Amino acid sequence: MAALIQLRGLVKGYTRGGETLRVLDKLDLDLEAGGFYALMGPSGSGKTTLLNLVGGLDRPDGGSIVVDGEDIAAMSGPELAEWRAEKVGFVFQGFNLIPVLTAQENVELPLLLTRLSRAQRKEHAKSALELVGLGDRRSHRPSQLSGGQEQRVAIARALVSDPMLVLADEPTGDLDRKSADDVLALLRLLNEKYGKTILMVTHDHAAAQQARTIVHLDKGGRLGRIEVVR
Amino acid sequence: MPPLHLVWRNLTKRKARFLLTAGSLAIAIFLLCLLRSLVVALDAGVKAAAADRLIVQSKVSLFVYLPQSYGPKIASVEGVERVMRWNWFGGYYQDPSNFFAQFACDQDELQAIYPEIQLVDGEWDDFLRDRKACIVGEATASKYGFKVGDSVPIIGALFPKTDGTTWDFRVAGIYKSIKKNVDDATLFFHYKYLENALDSGEGSGPAGVGIFVVKMAPGSDRTEVMSRIDALFEQGPQVVQTTTEAEFQAQFVSMIGNVPLFVSSIGGGVMVAILLAALNTMLMAAREQTRDIGVLKALGFGDGVVAGVLLWQSLALCACGGGAGILLAAATEDPVAKMLGTVFPGYEVTSATLWAAAGATLFVGLVAGVGPALRARGLSVIDALRRTG
Amino acid sequence: MAFVPFSYNLRSLVVRRTATLLTVLGIGATVAVLAGVLALQQGFATLFVENGRDDVVVFLRQGSTNEGDSVFSLERAQILMKTLPDIERPVDGPPLVSAEMYLAVRREKVGGGETNVPIRGVQQGTFRILGDDIRLLEGRAFAPGVDEVVVGSKLADRIADCRVGDTLVLNTTPFKVVGMFDHSGPFKSEIWGDRDRLAEALERPVFNRVIAKLKDGADLADLKERMESDPQVPCKVMTEREYLGSQTTAFSFVLRVLGAFLAAIMGVAAVFTATNTMLAALAARTNEIGILLSLGFKPWAIFASFLFESLVLGLLGGVVGCLMALPLNGVDTGAMNFQTFTEVAFAFRVTPEVMVVAVSFSLLLGLLGGALPAARAASLRPTQALRRD
Repeated sequence: MAALIQLRGLVKGYTRGGETLRVLDKLDLDLEAGGFYALMGPSGSGKTTLLNLVGGLDRPDGGSIVVDGEDIAAMSGPELAEWRAEKVGFVFQGFNLIPVLTAQENVELPLLLTRLSRAQRKEHAKSALELVGLGDRRSHRPSQLSGGQEQRVAIARALVSDPMLVLADEPTGDLDRKSADDVLALLRLLNEKYGKTILMVTHDHAAAQQARTIVHLDKGGRLGRIEVVR
Repeated sequence: MPPLHLVWRNLTKRKARFLLTAGSLAIAIFLLCLLRSLVVALDAGVKAAAADRLIVQSKVSLFVYLPQSYGPKIASVEGVERVMRWNWFGGYYQDPSNFFAQFACDQDELQAIYPEIQLVDGEWDDFLRDRKACIVGEATASKYGFKVGDSVPIIGALFPKTDGTTWDFRVAGIYKSIKKNVDDATLFFHYKYLENALDSGEGSGPAGVGIFVVKMAPGSDRTEVMSRIDALFEQGPQVVQTTTEAEFQAQFVSMIGNVPLFVSSIGGGVMVAILLAALNTMLMAAREQTRDIGVLKALGFGDGVVAGVLLWQSLALCACGGGAGILLAAATEDPVAKMLGTVFPGYEVTSATLWAAAGATLFVGLVAGVGPALRARGLSVIDALRRTG
Repeated sequence: MAFVPFSYNLRSLVVRRTATLLTVLGIGATVAVLAGVLALQQGFATLFVENGRDDVVVFLRQGSTNEGDSVFSLERAQILMKTLPDIERPVDGPPLVSAEMYLAVRREKVGGGETNVPIRGVQQGTFRILGDDIRLLEGRAFAPGVDEVVVGSKLADRIADCRVGDTLVLNTTPFKVVGMFDHSGPFKSEIWGDRDRLAEALERPVFNRVIAKLKDGADLADLKERMESDPQVPCKVMTEREYLGSQTTAFSFVLRVLGAFLAAIMGVAAVFTATNTMLAALAARTNEIGILLSLGFKPWAIFASFLFESLVLGLLGGVVGCLMALPLNGVDTGAMNFQTFTEVAFAFRVTPEVMVVAVSFSLLLGLLGGALPAARAASLRPTQALRRD
């Protein structure tokens, strides 16, 4: 069976201060559907860049990114936006909730891109929040939530439109141990119970152990070893 | 469906800033309405001028009087139905700063030539019969408390009384004008009263008639009548210039100076100031929302939709401020008119003015919003998310 | 006394370039409008006031406010001239006294429209009294007893038929324009001719004023008192400077009020913009304030720092506004002096006083705009401020 995500000859570089740095250098990688991958590597190894490329937030300088049969590297901006809305859920290190909206409204946000009615959107958001254990905090603003709670709202937002892919960039980076554990448990739930394919960038070894496969990238943007956890 | 609830939330998130910007917009739009209304008031008299009334004045100067003998001669011109003598009296009530116009006119002709003047109190016959009677406009009457039967003492500046006393007129009626070309602030009295006083030496001042007001017979050709009258006096002793009432009013407006230019310059300055204020606020807001823009784009909202949110923010802000200014202009119409009172009658905030203000508001909203909107549209998701706002 | 270094504020202004620029422009626009109106008023007033002579005395009819109103019959004027005491009588010529006729006549403007231009019928005595104040620029002086006029330098380009060689028709009489003269004051907006010829052409056998040069040491106050109650020809006495000054009061006042009004309204908008900018600056620099507080700077130092920054914004705005208004300096314009109802040509004068008022105003705006944000900044607690927001 073909891998869900097939990366071939992926190249990405950045120009900073007049110098061009090759962050990803002809990377080939296959990621299977239903997998829970942790991406690890030293800083500068391009792990966040890789995540952004797979999520359609950025475009490669060369190579192809085939997700579920579609080469997203060839898509236009608007096409990528539509694709992201449908297929991907993001969880960021800084939570990235919209401060002027309540938790409920933040979770509903992706649903505005669907054809659901207002009542349906409310229902879905409510369920998502209950799933992450924050049903009673629906009307709170982010400033009224703890860091761990904010991240759980972000996870609820990431899964509310039922994407096939959840991309997490250092999701536990700003959290204390207890909250981090809660978040990782949620991610495992999404993967094991709901079959989401998860790609998580992290530098925390303990967090990586919660995944099922660890993909190491080395400095120079090349693929290192692939370690199976479970 | 675009996330429009963000528009309102983002605006009101920082209440002080929202109120301050909306406040300055409101004040500026109010000022623009005020300026425009003043210009409209100046033009109103011109626009409402009667088509069948002509003014015969000296061609040489506003301050030159025409011989009495001109009256009957003008009356005999073909196409002239009625003629009235009309002198600017130029006096004041108690203090020179209490300004309102007074005119001496042939009282029998007044009603026929100026049907706009309608009495709201008192009797026309009373005015016509008593040589020392006068009728006063509503605005002046209410400002100084004149009532029918009162005696109004006017100090003659142009026509002083030889013994230094005041000219006393008895109020026989209070009038209101149903059209804009005649204001509600004037005092009209009998020409004969002035004429007799000058003849007897009781008063002194320029002899002769200020202007003649002519009502044309229905169906006459206006240009023809005007040329005929002018031709009558081509050889003097005083050359005349016959104009339509509209032209006559316009000449006063144009003498005030280049009002349109002056007002436009000021109006332009005001517009620039509020545009800058709105732009400043929108740019600040947009900068603070950089991360949010990234989030929306990451979630899959298109570049255009996100840009739209910012544009709507600007429009909503301007609508609040401009709307408040428009309401303020409409609500203060009466108090301002009263304040300008007898010096600048005719102040009115027309719906055209309010629509123009709405247009200006829309314009500012668009211009202030387009920059931030375009910037938001072109912002890359990664860059936006990287910023901490 | 530890002040927060000023360089910190200046650099912060540069870092937030766009907001700084917009605020400075906003204040600048307000200041420019104020300066423009004041420059108009200064140009108008100085034309009159600076150019009136202290040694020339003007006699007007008792009770009149300007030359236009003041009317002396031929007889009275002559009595006045003969009986006036204290007139300088040079050894080699007639006494320095002259009677003049004054009328605002209607003339067409170059480019359309009409306006009122003063015509002054003078006797030769006027030239003897004014001497070098009247400088012939082109052509020659009119010959007494002939239908000729000379025009003031400002009229040639603004009023029709006012070039040397043209013919001006007054009433039914043509007058040849034989010369153009300059005067540092308002006379350069007038047409001058022989009094007798003009009086006949205009059918105006009167004088409007008498001017005279008094002997050295003559007591003006005494003269004023005596002439006011003179049994034969009571009149008002004042120096030419006083007279010219009195002609400007109404218009100057209106311009000042207008300037203040506009400045107030636009000023409020500018203050709002400044407050907004400073509030945003505060929001972005909360962390920095926390650092400053933790380093040991006292709250009042923070307050002073923010206020200083706001004052700098105001100052920059004031300078920009003055720079925007400066090009107006010397620009020719005209306005209707409604006290005399004549058009006066003058130039904008952006005087040092105008700039001082403008910059003071802008500093005030900066102060008012910065007060609230400075107070908020000073009331932050270090723990609050240092928490990442």
